[in-house]
Amino acid sequence: MKRAATPRPTGAAPSKRHAAKVPAEPPAARSGARSQQTRFSSRLRAWGRHHRAMALDSLYRLIRHPMGNLLTMLAIAIALVLPAALWLTLDSAKLLDAELDESATLTIYLELSVDASQATRIEEAVVADEDVAQTRLITPEQGMAEFQQSLGLDDTLAGLEDNPLPTSIVIYPQSVEPTAIKQLAVRLETFSGVDEVRVDLAWVERLRHLADLGRRVALALGVLFGFGVLLVVGNTIRLAVESRRREIEVVMLIGATHAFVRRPFLYSGAWYGVGGGLLALGLLGLGNHWLAMPVAALAASYGANFVLPQLDVTGSTILLSCSTLLGWLGAWLAVTRHLASIRPR
Amino acid sequence: MIAFEHVGKRYGGRFEALAHLNFRVARGEMVFLTGHSGAGKSSLLRLIMRLEKPSRGRVVVAGHDIAQLHASQVPFYRRQIGVVFQDHQLLFDRSVFRNVSLPLEIQGLEPREAARRVRAALDKVGLLYREKALPMELSGGEQQRVGIARAVVNKPALLLADEPTGNLDPQLSADIMALFEDFNRIGTTVMIASHDLALIARLRHRILRLRDGRLVADERAV
Repeated sequence: MKRAATPRPTGAAPSKRHAAKVPAEPPAARSGARSQQTRFSSRLRAWGRHHRAMALDSLYRLIRHPMGNLLTMLAIAIALVLPAALWLTLDSAKLLDAELDESATLTIYLELSVDASQATRIEEAVVADEDVAQTRLITPEQGMAEFQQSLGLDDTLAGLEDNPLPTSIVIYPQSVEPTAIKQLAVRLETFSGVDEVRVDLAWVERLRHLADLGRRVALALGVLFGFGVLLVVGNTIRLAVESRRREIEVVMLIGATHAFVRRPFLYSGAWYGVGGGLLALGLLGLGNHWLAMPVAALAASYGANFVLPQLDVTGSTILLSCSTLLGWLGAWLAVTRHLASIRPR
Repeated sequence: MIAFEHVGKRYGGRFEALAHLNFRVARGEMVFLTGHSGAGKSSLLRLIMRLEKPSRGRVVVAGHDIAQLHASQVPFYRRQIGVVFQDHQLLFDRSVFRNVSLPLEIQGLEPREAARRVRAALDKVGLLYREKALPMELSGGEQQRVGIARAVVNKPALLLADEPTGNLDPQLSADIMALFEDFNRIGTTVMIASHDLALIARLRHRILRLRDGRLVADERAV
């Protein structure tokens, strides 16, 4: 105390290396003649430095209280898993959908009087239609063979004297749009020699409606659970702000901007999001593992080769970015709302 | 440096904390602000710090009517003022060094330069050897000196202090005041609110006396 109490002449030889630096220059000398550019770049550097420091500081605070923060992240993860799982399911339904689209065909049954050469001519005419991608002619003999094969009724059918089957043409349409297919069917019916055009689109349409419904449900759930994440993060950050209220008051007293005060909390929120997102990915992986075997067995019993979909790199990145963004946004909302109520005393 | 022009401040529409304040403080001056507790000393300082706006009149600091400052400009305005609080407002979860460097951190000063200035400020208040200590480990007088180091570390043109010797014994109080005189000597405008009449009478600086929110005396140093 003695040293401080003794007035020292300005710029006196310092007793220590760093001594007397503060009073050595008059305050007016503060605004130096540095160029605008260096000031801007040094401010940019300072900004980056503070971001880095706060990112690490908030991560450190998170790690210091692992249990409570893990629970928060788990809550976020659970909120994310449900919409993500539904999304995955729909994604796999889309695969099924594509398969169905391929099998969306029309079949023309020709009149029994039509002979083979006439049938070929009709097929050529059909192929000429711009909505037709491909055709396959099935003669009565081929039809019988396929019929026998699929029904396993060799003996019974072999007993028939006449082949009762007409010549048929399977048509793969250019577009799988239901309306386009219907129009095509109407056109095909006017061809001479055509007995009947069969289109069965009802189930394709039903499946489409179902997929559409699923997508909407997934979207609604996503929005709803997204809000859930915002609330979880927001509440956690609100408590964090409250527990650091004094610190915030002090730094605001000595000239901290709102952005400065907000920054560590935004990083905390983002870290919660990252943690929650990673846990959600883990849970999804675990769920996949848990369900893979029964699903494969079930699919096999239908003669299908269906594998449970997994989040690929893109999907994982999207999920992680979403959760990080939600965490950040939740923190932003909480801090901004709360800062308004904090005034330095 | 500071000009109060017909300044009045009411709280809650009825209680008149300050009324008809008119005075000027020149650049480089050292002024004591005194009066019994509740006379409005703290309110006056709060107006200068732009923690509150006057209900009437203008507070002009360094040529700017500070009521006109936009909320986003206020932090930058506050950075130009060093403030010493009676309860020193230190953060107890970080070292003396980190406490003093806080204003520089807020300004985004390059860490090496910041460390240099923090050490200089700590050395000035005679606490360089305590830089790693936590505030809780320090005595009241030492905590107050850390608060002063924090207030001067970014070389403010204006230094405000609210009862800086409130809880200290006479010897420590005199030491603290001598420290403020040091800063004043190198050109810093200093304004100290204090009710330690015996002490400030000895120091021979200008004294502004408040009573019930009014300026009752403006005693120039002889």
